[in-house]
Amino acid sequence: MADEPIKAPAETPAPSAPRAEGPPGGGGGSHRSEGHSGGGGQRREGYSGGGGGGPRREGGGPSGPGGGGPGGPRRGGKRQYFRKKKVCRFCVERVDFIDYKKVEMLQPFVQERGKILPRRMTGTCSRHQRWLGEAIKRARNIALLPFATEL
Amino acid sequence: MEERLYDLIFICRPATPEEEINKIVTTLEHSAVEHGGKVEKTEKWGTRRLAYRVSKHREGFFVYMVLRSAQSDIIKELERRLKVSDAVIKYQTVRLDEDLKRQQKLVHHRERRASRRPRKPAGAPAPQQQVPPAAEQTAAS
Repeated sequence: MADEPIKAPAETPAPSAPRAEGPPGGGGGSHRSEGHSGGGGQRREGYSGGGGGGPRREGGGPSGPGGGGPGGPRRGGKRQYFRKKKVCRFCVERVDFIDYKKVEMLQPFVQERGKILPRRMTGTCSRHQRWLGEAIKRARNIALLPFATEL
Repeated sequence: MEERLYDLIFICRPATPEEEINKIVTTLEHSAVEHGGKVEKTEKWGTRRLAYRVSKHREGFFVYMVLRSAQSDIIKELERRLKVSDAVIKYQTVRLDEDLKRQQKLVHHRERRASRRPRKPAGAPAPQQQVPPAAEQTAAS
């Protein structure tokens, strides 16, 4: 829900911005994502932040060449930073309760050093991120997950 | 007071003999029943690696219990017992009934919504109509 307003400024410089971001949907916009990711161009796969660095926000650099100057629509060249809309994994699977005892389920959302991955990297919706954080903290308390890996 | 559901996990030293763990479990179950609670489930997860060192141990024997009780004193009593026993190095009690209630509510809500209107996304058509022109522009030019 809350990630649409954040993303919006990153996408506005592109001329084809009216990708109908629509009103911020209630359930994390999981249904709508199929609609506008089919726009063509290259897609970025792998939204799940498996290890350390998932696809980060690529602002700045690539948007430079066509952004401000000639005004015309972008040439045949592909838009460099066409990001695939990340979808909350828990919304897709209709998860209503995140169990803190299932460590292997929580592991992908934790960095190797034990940090909780931010929402902008995993694409989790705000509600599920909240539950996830709670579950991870519970698991940490009972030594199922590390607070930080000691070296 | 309504009944509450608790998760109780405790970790014993890895060197603890099996009988001692069984003894702890039975005493816990006894005192839970004494205080008007009910043990729904007891699971031994066995020896697992700990994510960090707990009182100089890297491994521990995990025991998981599910309790149901209307009195919160039961938790106080069980935790006191766990604290006293030497074999136990860590324990945690989590109250789960509120989370489960929320889960049931969400499931119920979803079912009701699904039954009310057959699968037809109401919000989707409007934004989708706007998408094609934009997509064509980028593709054609």
